[in-house]
Amino acid sequence: MSAYLAFTRSSFHSQLAYRNEVWANIFGKLVQVVARVAIWQAAYAGVGAIAVEGVSLQQMVTYALLGGAVMGATRPERIIGEIGRSLKTGDIAVWLLKPLSYPLYLFANECGSFFYRLMTQVIPTITFTALFYGMLPPASLFHALMFIAFWALSFTLLFLMSALFGLIAFWLMTSFSLDWILGALLQLFSGLLVPFWFFPEPLATIARHLPFAWVVYYPNAVYLGRLSAADIWFHLGLGLAWAGLFLFGVLWLWRSASTRITVQGG
Amino acid sequence: MALSLHPYHRAGRLIVLLHHLRVIPLLVRMYVRSQMEYRGAFWLDRLAQILSYGSVFATIGILLARFDTLGGWTWPELALLFSFQLLAYSLGAAMSFVQLRDLEELVRLGTFDTLLVKPFSPWAYLIFSGLNISYTGHVILAVALMGWAVISVDFGWSVWSVSFLIATLISAALLTASLITMIGATALIWVRSNHLFSIFFGFWELTRYPLNIFPGSIQITLLTAVPLALTSSVPVAALLGKPVPILGDWAAPAALAAGPVWVLIAIAYWRYATGKYQGAGG
Repeated sequence: MSAYLAFTRSSFHSQLAYRNEVWANIFGKLVQVVARVAIWQAAYAGVGAIAVEGVSLQQMVTYALLGGAVMGATRPERIIGEIGRSLKTGDIAVWLLKPLSYPLYLFANECGSFFYRLMTQVIPTITFTALFYGMLPPASLFHALMFIAFWALSFTLLFLMSALFGLIAFWLMTSFSLDWILGALLQLFSGLLVPFWFFPEPLATIARHLPFAWVVYYPNAVYLGRLSAADIWFHLGLGLAWAGLFLFGVLWLWRSASTRITVQGG
Repeated sequence: MALSLHPYHRAGRLIVLLHHLRVIPLLVRMYVRSQMEYRGAFWLDRLAQILSYGSVFATIGILLARFDTLGGWTWPELALLFSFQLLAYSLGAAMSFVQLRDLEELVRLGTFDTLLVKPFSPWAYLIFSGLNISYTGHVILAVALMGWAVISVDFGWSVWSVSFLIATLISAALLTASLITMIGATALIWVRSNHLFSIFFGFWELTRYPLNIFPGSIQITLLTAVPLALTSSVPVAALLGKPVPILGDWAAPAALAAGPVWVLIAIAYWRYATGKYQGAGG
């Protein structure tokens, strides 16, 4: 286990080495979040209503801050890129010789970079924007605790989806398109920019049942108290089931991929 | 470099220029051929990019379906803005982005030095030996959307307005390539410059939306330090006769002049940066 912890630590430290990038990333994130809030302010101003679909502007601003800063801490392109790179350079073969699991190594590595982004991007951005825009607190203590559970689930699911997409590169021999396709699915179906309350039916119903919904939409809906306690438990169970399914997919793909490794790197 | 071989002779300059013009198609052909080696993978990648930008476009569409307008802009107007932004960016970025992003690595490894001894402008070599046809997907999507938007938008088209659209599109592409060149050239001074691209793209994403919805500080930044508003909402707003914050009536001339003016600034900056370059590789 300590080997994986070391991977987490080293991934965290290796990113901290570039100070200029820390500042550029905080700045970039801040601009993005301010922009998302501006989009919702303009949308609500356009209809001239205090609440749309029972959602107030303040709730929507909170949703945008949570979606932009908190959920933006995992970057699927990094995981898919990492697998693609190992495949191209041939490093992947080395993992078969080590008494370690490659998927677990990827997870440990992603945890390190998640903590790095939590410290250097999420916390500064959230603190600044919450002070500036007046972010709403969680609906209750129960909702706050459940939000943390959903957040952890969101991170795990996003990691598993990315690893699954990355491993498909073994058959396609390119990870570039997989990264963009996952990005497209997340953009539309995670609720990152537009929550499903504003989706037309039946698209909203479809989106609520896809696994991408657990990445941004459900954690945020839980935070804002849009789901009843029974619904929260039910959706937590469903989310865990999705995670289990993806975990099985990742392990199965890695096992079949290991048998067909053709080393092309030097 | 090449120009300095014959600084005082007009005829010498002409020969160098002709040499450049002859070599450029060759450089482009070589690189395009290497990119098209795996045709299936190439088109799969383009399809994935079309899906990705298509889903951004669909998300904005869903938002507008519920809220009708955004900052006073209707859905077809925003579709015109989105397609203009994507097309201008992809034309400019094909001429610069990957090439200049990789410059950091060339500087770090010292490979840039080999470009300096070639009898050819290092900038032109970098650009044309890496002319990126991967933006085909962006262009296909943007042109299709623009076609739909042009028909759907409530606007009386004339020869003048179509010419303005094309001229500002070229200006926007030049501006994009100039900004990317300047960010890339910074690597010649600082060795690292790629973190500046994350700031560039952070602002670039905002230019899919009308400038007037953003707070004043972002509006000013998008018109001055990171003048990306001039590659999207300023020209489209000027075309459609929508109010442009800060610039007002100057929006149309500013959008037309922005590209050429920033090209001159980028040339000056590139010269300054290559002058400062000392080499970082071993």
